[in-house]
Amino acid sequence: MRSVWIIFKKEFLGFFSSPLFFLMAFVATVLFSITFSMGIQNFATLLSNGMYQMGANPQQLNIHYAVFLQHLSLVNLLFIFFTPALAMRLLAEEKKNRSFDLLMTSPITSWQIVLSKYLSLITVLFAIEILAFIYIFFAQQMFQFDLLPTILTGTGIFLVGAVYASMSLFASSLTDNPMVAFIIGIVLNLGLWIFGGLADFTDHVAYKKIIEQISVNQHLQLMIDGIFKTSSIVFFISIIFFFCFLCERVIESSRWRST
Amino acid sequence: MIQVDNLVKTYGDRFAINNISFKINKGDVVGLLGPNGAGKSTTMKIITGLMSPTSGTAKVCGFDVFENPLEVKKRIGYLPENPPLYLDMTVENYLKYVTELKKVSIKECASNVESALEKTQLKDVRHRIIKNLSKGFKQRVGIAQALVSRPEILILDEPTVGLDPKQVAEIRDLINELKGQHTIILSTHILSEVQAVCNKIIIIHQGKLILDDSIENIQKLRQPQTQLNIKVRLDKDLSFEFKKISGVLSVNQVNPCSYRIQIEDDEVTTEAILEFIIQTKAGLLEMSVNENNLEDVFLSLTYNKSEEAVKI
Ligand SMILES: Nc1ncnc2c1ncn2[C@@H]1O[C@H](COP(=O)(O)OP(=O)(O)OP(=O)(O)O)[C@@H](O)[C@H]1O
Ligand SMILES: [Mg+2]
Repeated sequence: MRSVWIIFKKEFLGFFSSPLFFLMAFVATVLFSITFSMGIQNFATLLSNGMYQMGANPQQLNIHYAVFLQHLSLVNLLFIFFTPALAMRLLAEEKKNRSFDLLMTSPITSWQIVLSKYLSLITVLFAIEILAFIYIFFAQQMFQFDLLPTILTGTGIFLVGAVYASMSLFASSLTDNPMVAFIIGIVLNLGLWIFGGLADFTDHVAYKKIIEQISVNQHLQLMIDGIFKTSSIVFFISIIFFFCFLCERVIESSRWRST
Repeated sequence: MIQVDNLVKTYGDRFAINNISFKINKGDVVGLLGPNGAGKSTTMKIITGLMSPTSGTAKVCGFDVFENPLEVKKRIGYLPENPPLYLDMTVENYLKYVTELKKVSIKECASNVESALEKTQLKDVRHRIIKNLSKGFKQRVGIAQALVSRPEILILDEPTVGLDPKQVAEIRDLINELKGQHTIILSTHILSEVQAVCNKIIIIHQGKLILDDSIENIQKLRQPQTQLNIKVRLDKDLSFEFKKISGVLSVNQVNPCSYRIQIEDDEVTTEAILEFIIQTKAGLLEMSVNENNLEDVFLSLTYNKSEEAVKI
């Protein structure tokens, strides 16, 4: 376990010594600031003007949906691109620099490598999500509302981010070219949503049901609506485990392939 | 300490190494020699567990490399062909990280790092980012990285590549100093390096083991004759006279005044030749002895491989 902690610590601090993380944090903060203040402003206009309210649907009059959901969707969008960029240095770049040989000849298992790198990756995602939540916490100081659904949504987005992390780490294990790892990661992350979207294209009831069950959309939507099901957690954890498992297999098999 | 049995590694249908077996005892310093592409690095990668062989087994300290990889890896310090460096770390932090990875107890980490920095003379650059170091310094950090966990076994793949002559000598001294505390395997193309530090040589050629012996045996093995290079003032052909001296095997007149004489390896013959030159007042200007050295052994075993060489 000490090994996991050691690699975790090194990778986590490593993120902060790379300009990439600060660039991301900067981009995220700028976008958050713009969309959040615009969201609040629109919401305020809507509430103060009775005319608009008549035609609006109830969701638009709820701060959770009208402002925070929008705000957190942006986090999701950023995660799609940030996660592979962060993950590419974890394995692909190590292979390129040959420093991976050090890990492979150290007394640690492939699982410990995957686990520690994965944890460091989701910790950084967590940090980015905290950035987004700062806005929401400050809003809480000003307006009265129930924070719980928003926190649940945040958890949902974080879990989706954790799924991206497992897929991006897997992508990173496949190649020794960081750029290729980055692109595969984005493709996988987007693929997750495209796959979920397929449900709308089939008319077949059974297929539709199956796709909905195994796509993130459905599970995330439940959490957004404030419904917390253990099956959703099990679902997310299974995908994460699946990709981490694949990643571990790829690392292990690199001993058999030519290095 | 290290036992390798019938190791085979193929890439597609090419053999990188073909049926290699050898045994290395505790405290040995072994030179792994062979021309480019012989399979030295491949052999090392298998022993360190970086790569698995197509067939055969490797055991380190009684632990099989594949059944018990963690036990083996704890005991090995390895410098690969490309030093495995984290370019954006400082030298000191990097070494600290390696120490921790190798499961050195927390108490000893700091002192291990200090002594590795000391031994590889990296103290002045300890706070520098590795990326900014010159190639030779990076190589030294690579060596420090292999040493830092004080492993029982050190495996160094071409440790002196990219170093300046002074550093090469220093690494040589370092290896001599480490002798006894560690079992060392190093691969190299520089034969003088092997002669200077190793007590055992393994030569690999085209994936096959062609020699595995102690240094003294090898030098004895190939020394039935010695070559004398002689230069005299007198430009008269003395070949015939030289041939009459007992112990002289062949004489080759390079130019009117210079001769290359093959003799049986004993001092009496050398003495007789010198006496003859002095008696004939030929005027001895120069004389040198070409001993059969390791280089000849190496070249004859690998490049002009004759039947005879294979027998050895
Ligand atoms: N990834 C690979 N794919 C195919 N063949 C390989 C691969 N790696 C090594 N080889 C082959 O295996 C053989 C042994 O290579 P190895 O690197 O062990 O040689 P070496 O003795 O270390 O040579 P050098 O002195 O140049 O370092 C070579 O013929 C090489 O072409
Ligand atoms: Mg090599």
